[in-house]
Amino acid sequence: MLDPTHLLLSFDAGLVREYLFKDIVVRAALRTLWISVLAQAAGIALGVLAAVSRNLRIPVASQVSSLYVWFFRGTPLLLQLLFWFAAVPLIAPDDFGWWIFQFHHDWFLFSPFEAAVIGLSINEGAYMAEIVRAGIESIERGQMDAAKALGMTNLQGMRLVILPQALRVIVPPTGNEFISMLKNSSLASVISYPELLFVVRGQYARNYKVMELISVAGIWYLFFTSIFSVLQAELEARLRPDQERQGLRAILAHAISPPGEWTGSIGGSDRR
Amino acid sequence: MNDAMVRIEDVYKRFGRNEVLRGITFDVRRGEVIVILGPSGSGKSTLLRLISHLDDIDRGRIYVDGRLVGYEERAGNLRALGDRQASLARADVGMVFQRFNLFPHLDALANVTAAPMHVKHVPKKSAVNAGTELLRQVGLADKLHAYPSQLSGGQQQRVAIARALAMNPKVMLFDEATSALDPELVGEVLEVMKLLARQGMTMIVVTHEMGFAREVADRVMLMDGGVIVESNTPAEFFDHPREERTRSFLSRIL
Repeated sequence: MLDPTHLLLSFDAGLVREYLFKDIVVRAALRTLWISVLAQAAGIALGVLAAVSRNLRIPVASQVSSLYVWFFRGTPLLLQLLFWFAAVPLIAPDDFGWWIFQFHHDWFLFSPFEAAVIGLSINEGAYMAEIVRAGIESIERGQMDAAKALGMTNLQGMRLVILPQALRVIVPPTGNEFISMLKNSSLASVISYPELLFVVRGQYARNYKVMELISVAGIWYLFFTSIFSVLQAELEARLRPDQERQGLRAILAHAISPPGEWTGSIGGSDRR
Repeated sequence: MNDAMVRIEDVYKRFGRNEVLRGITFDVRRGEVIVILGPSGSGKSTLLRLISHLDDIDRGRIYVDGRLVGYEERAGNLRALGDRQASLARADVGMVFQRFNLFPHLDALANVTAAPMHVKHVPKKSAVNAGTELLRQVGLADKLHAYPSQLSGGQQQRVAIARALAMNPKVMLFDEATSALDPELVGEVLEVMKLLARQGMTMIVVTHEMGFAREVADRVMLMDGGVIVESNTPAEFFDHPREERTRSFLSRIL
């Protein structure tokens, strides 16, 4: 066993530089990025579906959504990944007919990539459902009333009026979710998907340069999370078009106008 | 078919144990302007929300231009229409809210064109032309691309009126449209409402503006405790109220 001082002293910065851009590491880092982006996108879609069907109390769909959120927020992500990868093939029957489709056993054998994306997406959807729900509920009720009074259906009101406004509330926590996703995707290493941490561990198992290789992975994770933090800030700024176009004069007028006049049409969060 | 644009027949509504409407019946003729007065909590706003089918009715019938709003009648029973059909029926009823409820993420013109484009599938170009013209009529030709947060309360409410008019409603409902405004901004909104009345729009106006009631209304009603206490021409209503309840209400606010 090496003592820690020795480890630190023997830290080889040159090796970090070498591994950082090694083909196998770069490709693993891009895989991490890819499954994270896929799973986050699918998670957002699932979250919006679940939150909207619950908010509009669509029969069956809203109950399914509640059950979905309860189940997938209540069990560990690692367990879910293992389930999709290992357990699904066990519970699926060998061969059976479903109406006109024929399902075969191998359809239920997910590759590590498929199991990772499915597992991360479905887990993320449960968290996104709660974030989207909070966003929808932050919009005052009068907005939906106005949409409906104009002849919009519930879904049109959601799509054209509620969700665009809710985005301002939804985007910041979604950014956090994506940053968590980049890091949580490392759990896919357990189901042998060759993402960043899996590959890095493979490397140090061979050369025992644990600190150097862990640093390499850490630098890649920090690089991705930093880039997305910047993108998130940019997106949040773009979601305030009225504030952006509002000149000094309008801001002054706003400041000297009595507060009661403004509260009606704009939720408090618009006026930060 | 008679001349009634809006027909309200024995309408009841309760929220939990609170009976808000207890048998409301009246007709509104085509082009008629009704002003409803009454203390807060008397059920005025609830009645408007039922006419535009934003809430369900418990009992009774509401017809707009001869058609049930939000329901169909089968063998004497009311059956709620599906979301899509109910929405189409709602488009015939314009609603102006106390707190404007403009869409803050859209500019004035987009507020006005959103429903025609997405509900009536009017092409963008003609929706924009019609919307521009409506905003000009309410005196906001220079504010087409202003966002609600950049407009005064009076301007916002005028955009809201233009927005409702863009759907060519058969009747316009005003739910205390000037109550959230600063006193000096009330006039500009009332002017627009008077203009509409002169153009022959059927209107049901819930307000505390007695001057408007006297000047514009064809009939003034007092609502209290979920019923209509008195309904009369403005001259009779204000100068020779029949009911004691009306007299005490008027003495408190005039």
